[in-house]
Amino acid sequence: MTEQPAEAHEQRILGTELLWAFGVGVLIAAILGMIVFTALTRDINPPSNVERLDPKTLHLSGEFAEHNLGTVVGADGGVTVRVIATQFMFVPRCIAVPRGRPVTLRFAAPDVLHGLLITGTNVNTMVVPGFVSQVHTEFTRTGDLLMPCHEYCGLGHSEMWATVQVVPDDEFKPDREGRVPCAQR
Amino acid sequence: VCIWGTPMTATDQPSAADVPSEVADEVDEARLAEVMRVVPLGAGVLAGTAVALLVIGYLAIYLLVFLARGVVG
Repeated sequence: MTEQPAEAHEQRILGTELLWAFGVGVLIAAILGMIVFTALTRDINPPSNVERLDPKTLHLSGEFAEHNLGTVVGADGGVTVRVIATQFMFVPRCIAVPRGRPVTLRFAAPDVLHGLLITGTNVNTMVVPGFVSQVHTEFTRTGDLLMPCHEYCGLGHSEMWATVQVVPDDEFKPDREGRVPCAQR
Repeated sequence: VCIWGTPMTATDQPSAADVPSEVADEVDEARLAEVMRVVPLGAGVLAGTAVALLVIGYLAIYLLVFLARGVVG
């Protein structure tokens, strides 16, 4: 083989590699651009709340005391749900939320690392002792959704789950204290 | 070369040329040049198809499942 064709081959391979690198760069930029675009225009972001609390005393007083758990509608109409994730249950075991309204979910754990997701939604977070996990979302369809613990937390992990009852907005009626319990079915 | 006192000479070693499969094939330079010409194209088509399938799968899940499930943050 003469020197000329070998050089031509190398140039062609180099050209192909550069073209490939450029194409992959464009793909990565397009995907990152799409993620940033949806984050800015549709408010879709990874939950990133950093808020500390004492896991040893969270159940005694303050936000996660027993009488504050569950769904509550504030004076401004905002819906907030507070849940404790503990071995091996969520407290409360059922939460009611309205469809089509912004909801703030707040979770805390007194013992070990837990995690949760709500099936059919993008709600998915870890619950780390010492921190409040907060997720903002809006439920788009009614029905009972399963909320299991998805971080192995001990022998009873598989029994740790709760129900999210998504009800139409006109059936979502808070009592005088602004609390909304699950409907008995 | 002498290892452990035993002289190693060319005469007591078998030659690779004794085994037909060990003998290098004769290279047809023109044919090789033709193959080398299409190798980058073939690699590009193969890798491009694989990446395109991956990206299509990603986009389908992102647009049709993830975004459809609503806001989260």
